[in-house]
Amino acid sequence: MTAAQAAPRPAVGRRGAGSAALGSGRLLRLELRHNAMLWLLPLAFALFWYNGYREIMALPPMWNLRAITLQNRLLFDLMVPATGAAAWMGSREGRRGITDLVAGTARPRWSRQLATWAATTAWAEVGCVACVAVVYLITARQASWGGPLWWPAAVSAAGVPALTAIGFAAGAWFPGRFVTPLVTVVVFFGLAFGTQAASGDHSYWQVSPLIAGAFDIGAAPGVASFYPYLPDLSIAQVMFAAGLVVAILGALGIPVARMRWLAAAVTAAGLAAAGTAVALAGTGRLDPHGMIVIPALHDASNDQPVRYTPDCSRTPIPVCVHPAYAGFLPAVTAAVGPELTEFAGLPGAPARIGQVAAVYRQDPGNGITVSGGRTGAAAFVLPDEVPGRLGTTGAEFAAQLDQGFGLQLMTDVILGGADRPAGTAPSQAQLAVISGSVRFPPSVESRDLEPLYGRLLPEPGSPASLAAKRFAALSPAARHTWLAAHLAALRAGRVTLAQLP
Amino acid sequence: MNVEITDLTRRFGRNQAVAGVSLQAGPGVFGLLGPNGAGKTTLLRMMATVIPPTTGRLRLLDRDPGAYGPRREVRRRLGYLPQNLGYYPGFTVAEFVEYFALLKEMPAALVPAAVATAIERVDLGGKARTKLRTLSGGMLRRVGIAQAIVNEPELLLLDEPTAGLDPEQRVHFRALLRELGQRATVVVSTHLVEDVGAACSQVALMDQGKVVFDGTPGELTARGSEQGTGDAPLERGYTAVLAAARA
Repeated sequence: MTAAQAAPRPAVGRRGAGSAALGSGRLLRLELRHNAMLWLLPLAFALFWYNGYREIMALPPMWNLRAITLQNRLLFDLMVPATGAAAWMGSREGRRGITDLVAGTARPRWSRQLATWAATTAWAEVGCVACVAVVYLITARQASWGGPLWWPAAVSAAGVPALTAIGFAAGAWFPGRFVTPLVTVVVFFGLAFGTQAASGDHSYWQVSPLIAGAFDIGAAPGVASFYPYLPDLSIAQVMFAAGLVVAILGALGIPVARMRWLAAAVTAAGLAAAGTAVALAGTGRLDPHGMIVIPALHDASNDQPVRYTPDCSRTPIPVCVHPAYAGFLPAVTAAVGPELTEFAGLPGAPARIGQVAAVYRQDPGNGITVSGGRTGAAAFVLPDEVPGRLGTTGAEFAAQLDQGFGLQLMTDVILGGADRPAGTAPSQAQLAVISGSVRFPPSVESRDLEPLYGRLLPEPGSPASLAAKRFAALSPAARHTWLAAHLAALRAGRVTLAQLP
Repeated sequence: MNVEITDLTRRFGRNQAVAGVSLQAGPGVFGLLGPNGAGKTTLLRMMATVIPPTTGRLRLLDRDPGAYGPRREVRRRLGYLPQNLGYYPGFTVAEFVEYFALLKEMPAALVPAAVATAIERVDLGGKARTKLRTLSGGMLRRVGIAQAIVNEPELLLLDEPTAGLDPEQRVHFRALLRELGQRATVVVSTHLVEDVGAACSQVALMDQGKVVFDGTPGELTARGSEQGTGDAPLERGYTAVLAAARA
């Protein structure tokens, strides 16, 4: 130790705002350099890759599907490293026995803790933003239409400080080495059970940042394709997360005598914001487009449909889909191509068939009914179970199209569609033609179709069933020729089974 | 006077750690001696504004640390080395000292030079970029001293500063103490009477929460000329005063 060395000038002086900001910046830099979250970023990325990224990338490249699933997964994957790192950093002074040393320094404890928390949160946000960036960059290269949905990403980003605030406060208040695993487990199960508790569209639990849109629908292609993504629930979720952060950080300052009233006011403001957000989430209702409307936050201009130019097939009857679904157009035309060929040009057959938005309705409890908004041969609804979503295969998608789109086209043309008198049962010949034209999978039975279409399949072994097999054995061109000549009579019920080719 | 203490007490539950201490100290090195449990550390923690006194009056650097604003002013001018120095193992020596310079709200522009100087003064210039986890106990103690002096404190409180230092470092440290004491009030709590004899101009001896001697090292030595036990004159004075206080 050197006593003879010249001592520096006295270091205490007036600190200007610039110096204070520079000092805070240097402190933050030190905290950033020595933050546990930095070392846990690889774990965060690994968890996201395992739990979120693989599932998101397995989805069709549609912005709505991937963004909504991203919100469902990202915060959950960041939860363990972010909360754990924050709790570890929050308990640092106590664990390291440095409380006396720092208590005798001029910088207020609140300010010191905020620097540590901010550094932890900054690294956690880096992880969050990186995950969002990877998913959105890849989706931008793959998606056929649209752009990033920012609200789901914003909710995830807003949830990160809430996680770190909870962890940090727990660590600061209970500075033991076991508080880190304990608070991590508690938050993990709290988040997981919080989503499970959501029931129906008026649930307060919708405020959970893990829930994107209507919980009972989840990520569906029909949501936010034809209409803009509604930010109502996202706004409430961001308000809730921000309120939670403010309340917790305020509570950290309450033990400081001079700041007690200020800290209590900040805490109360945060709790008020979070409580208001919960109340708002409870007023949410499912709108026909599959999203949650919160009346107090709703902007009516968001109810206008999105403008788009449809993608159409070059089939005898062109099939046009929303450009976001362009990737599915080949599968659609392949599935119903024979029917399109068979019915093209027939009286009553549409000149063009366009995709329309599905209509969602909340049933009691967790039930959701999805239906087509417009009926008729000129419009169809693509099922939400597109290939790649919830394990749906291409074959299952084609079967759904046959059962839905194909059968709707068939019944509308053969039975007369909207012109058909209500309650009129189809004739045996009509049943035979329908059954012989639509390529149902062998597993489909009449009872599968009855709820939607009524009795459309003849009894197995019946004369109508035998006539259907005969009709199905014809080529599409032969069926088209016969239908062109006899469709009017068939519709009128004047064709008998014996007259079928 | 930089330190004015009047009838100061501090109670932890039923235990009266400090029981009516009155002291005054101006610039110079002030030694605080006493056996284990005498209340030295508690007194130093109160002077470091870590804990408030239960009763009594405490003025530091002509300010009342009981009020927020003056306390913050005192803390900016304070250096404190606690008995048990906690540290962050992942920090380097320079980062740790810089961390405390920033917590002491030093003007940011002065921090880098002050950190470098403080580290040099404890002979750790070559270890500035070394992680604390790799340092020996004595080196860590010197890091603790560096963080205490980084802001050129007007009041420096050192609790067992020479614990773990080798003899050569202790000699150097005493020289540093004398140099610091030329401008500031340095209060050194220690078991080692030879440190007091070599570096302190004033000394107080505490026992059972009370000051039983307050004077110069020479006066303490004189108290042991007839009845004290120990190898050194100051030790004999120390034991003699304690024996008289307990009699």
